[in-house]
Amino acid sequence: METSGQLLLTVLMGAFLLGVAAFLARVEDWRSYTPLGAGGGAVGESGYGHAEKPAGLIRWLTTVDHKDIGLLYGAYATIAFVVGGLMVMLMRAELTTPATDVLGSATFYNSLLTSHGITMLFLFGTPIIAAFSNYLIPLVIGADDMAFPRINAIAFWLLPPGALLIWAGFFPIPGVIPAQTAWTMYTPLSAGVGAGNQANVGVDLMLLGLHLTGVSATMGAINFIATIFTERAEEVTWANLDIFSWTILTQSGLILFAFPLLGSALVMLLLDRNFGTTFFAVEGGGPILWQHLFWFFGHPEVYILVLPPMGIVSYVLPRFSGRKLFGFKFVVYSTLAIGVLSFGVWAHHMFATGIDPRLRASFMAVSLAIAIPSAVKTFNWITTMWNGKLRLTTPMLFCIGFVSNFIIGGVTGVFLASIPVDLVLHDTYYVVGHFHYIVMGAITFAGMAGIYYWFPLVTGRWYQRRLAKAHFWLWMIGTNVTFFAMVLLGYGGMPRRYATYLPKFATLHQIASLGALLLLVGGIIWVYNIVTSWMEGKRVESGDPWRLDETNLNTAEWDWFEAKRETSLAATDGGEEVKTDGGQESRADDE
Amino acid sequence: MAEIFDRDTLLDLTVNVIPLGIILFFVAAFVILDPFSSLDFYGRVLQMGLLAFPFVALAILTYVSGKAIAGDEKQSKVFFQGQATMEDAKTKHEVEEAIEAEIAGDAEAASDGEATEGGDADEADGADDTDEADGADADAAADD
Repeated sequence: METSGQLLLTVLMGAFLLGVAAFLARVEDWRSYTPLGAGGGAVGESGYGHAEKPAGLIRWLTTVDHKDIGLLYGAYATIAFVVGGLMVMLMRAELTTPATDVLGSATFYNSLLTSHGITMLFLFGTPIIAAFSNYLIPLVIGADDMAFPRINAIAFWLLPPGALLIWAGFFPIPGVIPAQTAWTMYTPLSAGVGAGNQANVGVDLMLLGLHLTGVSATMGAINFIATIFTERAEEVTWANLDIFSWTILTQSGLILFAFPLLGSALVMLLLDRNFGTTFFAVEGGGPILWQHLFWFFGHPEVYILVLPPMGIVSYVLPRFSGRKLFGFKFVVYSTLAIGVLSFGVWAHHMFATGIDPRLRASFMAVSLAIAIPSAVKTFNWITTMWNGKLRLTTPMLFCIGFVSNFIIGGVTGVFLASIPVDLVLHDTYYVVGHFHYIVMGAITFAGMAGIYYWFPLVTGRWYQRRLAKAHFWLWMIGTNVTFFAMVLLGYGGMPRRYATYLPKFATLHQIASLGALLLLVGGIIWVYNIVTSWMEGKRVESGDPWRLDETNLNTAEWDWFEAKRETSLAATDGGEEVKTDGGQESRADDE
Repeated sequence: MAEIFDRDTLLDLTVNVIPLGIILFFVAAFVILDPFSSLDFYGRVLQMGLLAFPFVALAILTYVSGKAIAGDEKQSKVFFQGQATMEDAKTKHEVEEAIEAEIAGDAEAASDGEATEGGDADEADGADDTDEADGADADAAADD
């Protein structure tokens, strides 16, 4: 009976997929695309013009335009950020009291903890960076599109099913519970052995979802490497490549080496869980093998997430400092250095596992060495601002916030690189505070700097300045209140990943939750601002909205924007009132 | 080769020489102090290998990237970041010459105080630039 039910489901799924294929074939004339071999998406004319874009939802489902895909990544990342943010708000609510009074169950807390981490790192962090890189890199390097536009689209469309699988445990599906393994998925817990409930299929679904996002990131990385190497305009030599493209190139290299390894480790874990293999069993490879494989991916992942935001800050911060980036080549070389060294530090996450002390010493040495390139960048940003003509616009505020938070996050990290300090602070809230200063205080702040800076470019409209500044200050204060409290909790010995705690930690936990509330309010303001401004914001009145030409700091993407504006102005019927650069009303045909 | 790796390029590359130096320092420290000499030889090989691999990889990448960037600098026009494909972009050389000329002019005739890009912001010029005024037209336009 059960078998026939499964057969029926299989047939239904087959019919559904056929239906999807038939639908797509109907709405999309595949032959209208120029085959890639004939130059589609390559240098020169692509043969795929924007005029061919279908209207409405079909456009977004079938697009291969890098800008559209960038926007899709952005929308996806925003949804994931909201989901991950709401999850952590539930956790922070729980942590306002020492017992599990709010959620009522530590198991649910563990589920939220796991999903928050994975959502923020894989479903928000990597995609929001892909949003910027997809939209901007072809514009900045003078490429027609990405090297492989359709692979670009496939890479994105792997993400929504990935998210559904990762969150599957939260859906009302009988017998499926959320994973509670934390984002590190340490064995033997994640292998489903023992008396716990992690043999549940919810964990398998989460692992499969993670695998899909990894495949997506790898495809994207290959695309960016190919694009930056082969599609650059002639004038964009290696000496002229902008810093954001350099960071994306380095990040893509890291993804190329790190993510396939994660994929392999995930498959091994799935085999252990479902087919009786012993890769990570005590009688086989051992649980520590998982940690080695995971962190060989996991530490480069940190730099996969932080390098492009550093690129955004290195790109945006000089525009509002009235001068060029100080030591541009220092920043480029240090980016490459971080890329290489990031593969030599993975076991600093494992100092407390009892590995050979000589290996620990080597990992400590390289971990201390990798602090240098990061510090070099920080000095470059500060020196760029030093005696500069600062304009404290919202993107600039977020850039300065980035530098400030990155210093705290970085300095707290240097201490952790030292074995004796790490052995004391390992698995405490100090670590949580440290890396949240980086992922929230730095990476997300840089993302916001980028969103506000390029908002006029993408939408042709302005965001609401006061709301944007309220967003910044709420986040700046909220970030420091929340995560500095965590650093202090760690000093006090509060272990991480617990739903309950000793009453002596209550005050600091409540302060951290208060900070998180500020972050929530700021986040709501951000979403409201972006959505309403996109729909009804004041229209941009010039092709150089940030007045970058005055300081000779304009860049290629704004040139493209100006050309686009001129084209659309020329395309008006002449009767429409439009605003000129000077802000005065005039008729389009007077121009 | 020597032409590419001139003094300026070597100075740019020092940023990567420092982490290389730190790794070398620890190699020397571990060899001289050898705090775990009683343990097996295999771990010793791994210990040195974990230092040697990043060292060699970083040295190679620094050399290759330095050659690519400095080589392109010498073979073609250099622009500031993000400006290479702009129609009216000035090369780095042209901008620097203009700044030098302006500085020379300033020295002679007490200058008009106009800020130049790349150089320090002129303090006299900054006097009327409040944060509010500087917020681009975003601040004026999007306030409501």
